[in-house]
Amino acid sequence: MRNKQSKIGKIAFWIIVSVMFIYLVFPFYWAINSSFKTEFQLMMTPATFLPLDPVTHRLSFSLINYQGVFKNPDFMRGIKNSALVACSVTLICLVVGSFAAFALGKLKFRGKKASLYLILSMTMFPQISVLTGLYALMNQFHVNPMLSMIFSYMIFTLPFTIWVMTSFFKGIPNSLFEAAKVDGATSFQSFRIILIPLAIPAMVTTGLLAFIAAWNEYLFALTFTSIDTTARTVPVVMAMFSGTISRQEPFGEIMAASIVVTIPLLILIYFFQRRLIEGLTAGAVKG
Amino acid sequence: MQNHILQKKEQKLAILLLFPSFLILLLVAVYPLFTVFQTSITNKTFASSSQISYIGLDNYTKLLALKIVELDPVFDEEGNPEINELTGKRVYENPTKVLPRKPNRYKEISQFDIFGHHFVFAGTDPDFILSVKDTVFFTLLSVFFETIFGMAIALIMVQNFPGRGGLRVAMLVPWAIPTAVSSRMWEWMFASTRVGIINVIGQFLRWTNGQFSFLTTPSTQLLSIIVIDIWKTTPFMALLLMAGLQTIPPSIYEAAEIDGCSAFHRFWKITLPLVKNTLVVALIFRTLDSLRVFDLFQIVFGQKRYSMSSFSYYQLINNKAMGYSSASSVLIFIIILLFIVLYSRISGGIGDEK
Amino acid sequence: MKLFTKFLFFSFVLGCISLSVFATGTTEKKSTMSESQNTNKIQLVVTASTAGQELELITEGCQKYMQEHPNIDAKILTVPSDSTDRLGLFMQYFETQSNAVDIFLIDGIWPGDIAEHLLPLGPYGAEKYTKDMFPSMIQNDTVNGKLLAMPAYTDAGVLYYRTDLMKKYGFTQPPQTWAELKTMAETVQKGERAAGNQDFWGFVWQGNAYEGLTCDALEWIYSEGGGSIVESDGTISIDNTHAAKALDRAASWINTICPEGVLGYTEEESRAIFQAGNAMFMRNWPYCYSLGNTEGSMIKGKFDVTTLPKGASGHGAAALGGWQLAASQYSDHPEEAAKLVFFLTGYEQQKMRAIKGSFEPTIASLYKDPEVLAAVPFFSNMLDVFNTSCARPSTVTAPHYAEVSKVFYSEVHDVLLGKENGKTAVENITLNIEDII
Repeated sequence: MRNKQSKIGKIAFWIIVSVMFIYLVFPFYWAINSSFKTEFQLMMTPATFLPLDPVTHRLSFSLINYQGVFKNPDFMRGIKNSALVACSVTLICLVVGSFAAFALGKLKFRGKKASLYLILSMTMFPQISVLTGLYALMNQFHVNPMLSMIFSYMIFTLPFTIWVMTSFFKGIPNSLFEAAKVDGATSFQSFRIILIPLAIPAMVTTGLLAFIAAWNEYLFALTFTSIDTTARTVPVVMAMFSGTISRQEPFGEIMAASIVVTIPLLILIYFFQRRLIEGLTAGAVKG
Repeated sequence: MQNHILQKKEQKLAILLLFPSFLILLLVAVYPLFTVFQTSITNKTFASSSQISYIGLDNYTKLLALKIVELDPVFDEEGNPEINELTGKRVYENPTKVLPRKPNRYKEISQFDIFGHHFVFAGTDPDFILSVKDTVFFTLLSVFFETIFGMAIALIMVQNFPGRGGLRVAMLVPWAIPTAVSSRMWEWMFASTRVGIINVIGQFLRWTNGQFSFLTTPSTQLLSIIVIDIWKTTPFMALLLMAGLQTIPPSIYEAAEIDGCSAFHRFWKITLPLVKNTLVVALIFRTLDSLRVFDLFQIVFGQKRYSMSSFSYYQLINNKAMGYSSASSVLIFIIILLFIVLYSRISGGIGDEK
Repeated sequence: MKLFTKFLFFSFVLGCISLSVFATGTTEKKSTMSESQNTNKIQLVVTASTAGQELELITEGCQKYMQEHPNIDAKILTVPSDSTDRLGLFMQYFETQSNAVDIFLIDGIWPGDIAEHLLPLGPYGAEKYTKDMFPSMIQNDTVNGKLLAMPAYTDAGVLYYRTDLMKKYGFTQPPQTWAELKTMAETVQKGERAAGNQDFWGFVWQGNAYEGLTCDALEWIYSEGGGSIVESDGTISIDNTHAAKALDRAASWINTICPEGVLGYTEEESRAIFQAGNAMFMRNWPYCYSLGNTEGSMIKGKFDVTTLPKGASGHGAAALGGWQLAASQYSDHPEEAAKLVFFLTGYEQQKMRAIKGSFEPTIASLYKDPEVLAAVPFFSNMLDVFNTSCARPSTVTAPHYAEVSKVFYSEVHDVLLGKENGKTAVENITLNIEDII
């Protein structure tokens, strides 16, 4: 009886995994598929699962989109800029955010709830309402575009980082903390030596999410880098992609660019998600 | 006495630790947010030198004014009620004749029947009211499904099985692709002829005739965009919940299994309470982001159908009504605040001492 | 230890603050660096989008100008190809009265809405250039008596049709009226579907709720004799039976000769259908002509272009598109900017763009120029098209055109969706426009 149940359970498990995998990955596969198609192949009805020649219906891959992408110097520079901005945002958020989260999660003081909600309230406004004021501010003080982007993204990523880390610190039992204090450590020392290692999974998670959010942001980046084109990030550069003729939307090139942009991100994620597993084994609470 | 000193020390440390965060937020956020509130009570026009004057709460009344008025049925010459030949229903008078015009014209939002009486529900800005309704509906459905799918994926991902690493990476793909690109991709997939792969598959499965237009048929518009959002944001929920699940020591599960708990029981009684903190935070931020949704609606629907944020955007850029747009932003803030208050009531507060 | 960490803290925070205060890049275009390098040069910044050959050809024009005027440094600033994004960006500059950009390439419907930020070009000698251009375009760019922009290139709606299918089904000439178009489309669609192409439709156009729908709908209404929404004297003329009839007629096409998805099409989607060989007729802008004839296109050599059908008024209608060059009020060098504008919209430059990129000139004589016609043969049809052209009421409804247009295309979209009939729609449009202006 147990055996049968576990067998059915196992099959059901794998079916669910496959369905989810397909749902999540299919559009990415479709993007790869489209990136190898010329414009005429993209217009075919019915749409094909592999690039086929419209007339002969034989397999026909085209590299024209990728050529267009790599020949574009703005695009390569855009990747560099995006990486710089996203890394800075993530680093600052993690450092500043974990300090604040430690205070909010572990220390006793007045005004805790108020601080938390005040921090949260910054993210409760639609982007466009904040944009005009921010642009005027950045213009007034002649802040360079990269810094404008880094600091404006904090409005949305810092509160998120603080809240997630706070809930993590709260979840870590006080017993550990108290034990360290009895041994003579100051609050800050116990923070550094005990809590941070335990919070690695949380930091990697929020770091990844903040990085991706900063990497993909478009509206603010467009406005801040409008004059200084050397500071443009990837989403802005992609908005400037041209077809050969006015009004033509270069769908194939956009797909190729998105593949080129996403693959390094995926490699980065693969590298970091292993740390997530390590964090699990390192952070297991004993006793 | 010891306690008192300790408390003061902790207070000082706390202030020190919070200082950088507040400094950054102060430098960057305070001025723009202040101008939003300030502009919302003026009639400022964007990029214009016309006079700015304070008009109090006029913008707000224009956004929120609602009215319900009864409509009388139309009678023909013989005194019989007119019937619409196409629908077989009674014909009622045109709302534009009944609704007040000054100081702001009321426009119809929808009509409905109660107890044999026919009413028209009208407002001075139907676009705004509809955008609120659409955004809330979008949020409720998206967040609900994203949480369930995210939790399911997270539960699966913390297990040990071959290919787990690759799957974790694949799982993040939707979140990693820029919104501008993934919206276009889905728009293309939802195309209304067989250029769109969804129509091709739908025809194969006999659900559509291959020419269905998902994005322009009002009944399927929101559902399509919800599908796109669920695809995009489930990884976000899954990743967060996964991190939360990993803090649960496996020893607890082993003890439960020995006690003879079923898998479902394990989940409900052990897992859920232990991830509650992470779940609440994930829900709060997901709901917040969902209520503020902008990119998706702007790219896929443009001005066909608004979310609250895209409504603000188009008021600013298209109509140049900066004061009006700021007022709608403030209202969005208040609506989001209501949701947050609701969450904190239900979850029992997060800033409280434990 | 505690003191040390406290110190770390503060230095970190101070570091952040100093970074933001001292690391000043510039959001103004004039940095001290470039000034020392080109001490005598006047820098002018021109915007051009990366859409198609626009960037390439404007850059070419600027380089030629720099050769002839060595004291001018004309720099191109790339902007997004999406119209709303572009407008949003320009408005941010205007809001801060920035001197960062001198010359803007603007859509033909914008001069009215951004009038106060554009430099009047009359005082700089525009007269001798404008006399050769189409008067309707000059009128479009003149707001409150001041000429605010020079037409750089233009566009007008045309009807594309499949010549091979015309022959196959025995039609001798393209449809002269909308009714004819409907019958022809129905016949061809039925035949092609029976022959196995289930994706074939009779007529595709731009039905999405956006500015493009204003163009298409205006064409139906104007050709039916229903006026142009708001007339040049300011009267709102849309509430009439012709307009209502035109809208109802268009609604009847949905799901008969037009796919339901047409309600979501912009220019590119409709082009994709026609170019894949899946439509008999298409209403679109002239840019599709050269794209349709590129190597590998399914319809290469099998289609042609003509004026749109006539309605009850007895004349056809073509919505006028087009792009203008304008100088900014906040420019540091207004006179030089105006001169560059005149150069880029002059006879030589327009001829170059016509030959190299098929950009329609705004100077009537160029449509008879043999070199131009050799490069772009279908331009000979275009003069007829321009004679039936009708401009959108952007200047007369300034500065609220964007709002007016939104009202118009939303109501039209509702008629097409079947939510209301033409009569209610035109009544609502009138009421809504009255509220705005």
